[in-house]
Amino acid sequence: MRLLIANHFANAYESLRSNRMRTTLTILGVTIGIASITVILSLSSGASRLVTSQVGQLGGSTAIVRPGSPMRDLQLSDITASLGGTATVSSLTEQDLITIKNIPEVEAAAPLMLLSGSLTASDETPDKSSLVATTPDFINITPLDMIDGQFIDSVTNQETAVIGAQLSVDLFGTEQSIGRTFRTHGTTFTVIGIIKRQNNPINYNNIDLDHTAIISLEIGKNFNQGVASLQQINIKSTSPDKLAGVVEQTKNTIQSNHFGETNFSIMTDDDLVRPSNELFAAISATLSTVAAISLIVGGIGIMNIMLVGVTERTREIGIRKALGASNTHITWQFLIESLVMSSAGGVLGYLAGYLAAFAISRSFLTFDPAFTWTIAGVALGVSVLVGTLFGLYPAIRAARKDPIEALRQYH
Amino acid sequence: MKKAATTPPVIALSGLTKRYGVGDATHTVLNGVDLVIEKGEFIAIMGPSGCGKTTLLNILGLLDHADDGDYFLDGRSVDTLSGGKRAQIRSSQVGFVFQNFNLVPRLNVIDNVALPLTYRGVGHTKRLKEASKMLATFHLSEREYYMPWQLSGGQTQRVAIARALVNNPSIVLADEPTGNLDSRSSHVIMEELADIHARGNTIIMVTHNPDLTSYASRVIRMLDGKIDSDTKVPRAQKPETAPKIRLDSLVKPVKKSGKKKGRKK
Repeated sequence: MRLLIANHFANAYESLRSNRMRTTLTILGVTIGIASITVILSLSSGASRLVTSQVGQLGGSTAIVRPGSPMRDLQLSDITASLGGTATVSSLTEQDLITIKNIPEVEAAAPLMLLSGSLTASDETPDKSSLVATTPDFINITPLDMIDGQFIDSVTNQETAVIGAQLSVDLFGTEQSIGRTFRTHGTTFTVIGIIKRQNNPINYNNIDLDHTAIISLEIGKNFNQGVASLQQINIKSTSPDKLAGVVEQTKNTIQSNHFGETNFSIMTDDDLVRPSNELFAAISATLSTVAAISLIVGGIGIMNIMLVGVTERTREIGIRKALGASNTHITWQFLIESLVMSSAGGVLGYLAGYLAAFAISRSFLTFDPAFTWTIAGVALGVSVLVGTLFGLYPAIRAARKDPIEALRQYH
Repeated sequence: MKKAATTPPVIALSGLTKRYGVGDATHTVLNGVDLVIEKGEFIAIMGPSGCGKTTLLNILGLLDHADDGDYFLDGRSVDTLSGGKRAQIRSSQVGFVFQNFNLVPRLNVIDNVALPLTYRGVGHTKRLKEASKMLATFHLSEREYYMPWQLSGGQTQRVAIARALVNNPSIVLADEPTGNLDSRSSHVIMEELADIHARGNTIIMVTHNPDLTSYASRVIRMLDGKIDSDTKVPRAQKPETAPKIRLDSLVKPVKKSGKKKGRKK
């Protein structure tokens, strides 16, 4: 039996157009549901893509060492928590750094030491700033583009610093601040380089480089009674396939430094991405469930209006049946009408969702929402599902109408 | 009962029974109807209200099921047919004309006429062509894109008849087709039906109006769910009883008066 799909579409269009107001309102219900799901999915996958791309840049040959016991599973907080939180009890020392550097397959190792305290230039003291001490190797492991100047190196003066572009603006009102000075911990630093804007505060270094001043480890130690308290050591192996061996040797050497105690953890690319991706997935699943409720409300709207339509057109159903329409024909006629409404809501919701996601990310967040076919597929798939689910009952009800009863009805 | 070996009758009923209600409230609407209708007959079914005429017509048109008895359509029993199959037969073999016209109010005249073709899977353009051709035979070409509410009663019923005939059914079932029309329009409609009967269609018409039986070739009177009398009308009689109004003489004046009526509405 032919299903007359094209005919049903023409029919649905005709009947939806003749009730423009209520069609619009019904579609709006679905649009809102799909839009919220699109916002959630695009932002969460944008966030998880950000972390993945960050780690991807490492090229598979990077491991990081952090203080703290590795006994529990790695948590997202291990990656994104502010380094300051663990600063007071760091178990990593300068000795660890030196022994790691001595491992033959290690190409470079750089410490990260976060220092508390604020930065001041003339009268400006930015609220959001951080001070990190490291070695010149840092830039070999985390490639950074410089707007101007250079990164700290072995021959630069101790009292020089490299700052992020936004920090430069906050301190001096310009990105061109080479040679300008700021004060912290009673020392005056001269700016020798400005790091290009990164726009990704969530990364494995746990520092928002845009708001950071980088100084050398030597002077950093001076601010901490001459002791290096490292929150992280970045290690780069000579090639990606040597990384596993490097991790093993690092573990052994630090363990022997720490008298056999494993009060540190070593993470490689996969470890860094997995928990954050899992967390983003969990967050987006939770939020999507909430959004699904609004979608159910939209679906109920469709069902409601379809039931009204079926009642209004009882007589038409009787006529169509008398003229040779089978139950299948009638079912499809009404089902397609509800599908047209829900898919229109799906398409509009997807577009509206992306606009909203962009508006949100531009005004509150530092990353862009992700465009993927998966999200488009989910938006359209879910809207078709809603249309089918909530359109089926009214359609079957329409098809089951007794033609004689239906023809007897006046309106 | 007799079943012709060569060509089976279009419709053969034996002991057809239909009841409504349950228990004490059971009401037998059709009580053992036996009827054989041959191809090309024009049957008028008469009888008081509630005697089961419409129910019989609905069962003949496969819109309703009988509770007992057999119904052979073109020699085949329809009792065991599935809903889809019944719909298919309605679409290909049965044309309905209703007392209250029953055009789909949302669709214009030509779409209404083309509707039965839709369910036979005819393409859009071909559908409209066929419908247009059919409307032309009813002198309604100028009304193709009118909406149903813009037509007079007589025109509406002619559209409905055009729709009933568009897929070339073997039987046309008319339930009081002139019930809502004045006598002049009634005769026009009857002339149309007589005309399609003359072309070889089988017509079964329910009516209250004894005047109209003069168009039929056979008159069946029903009483309390049974066939009371069944008389064949001799063909020679027809021109005498209905000589006054012929279709051709009516066409032009009717079209004009139809327009006026349309405006009055």
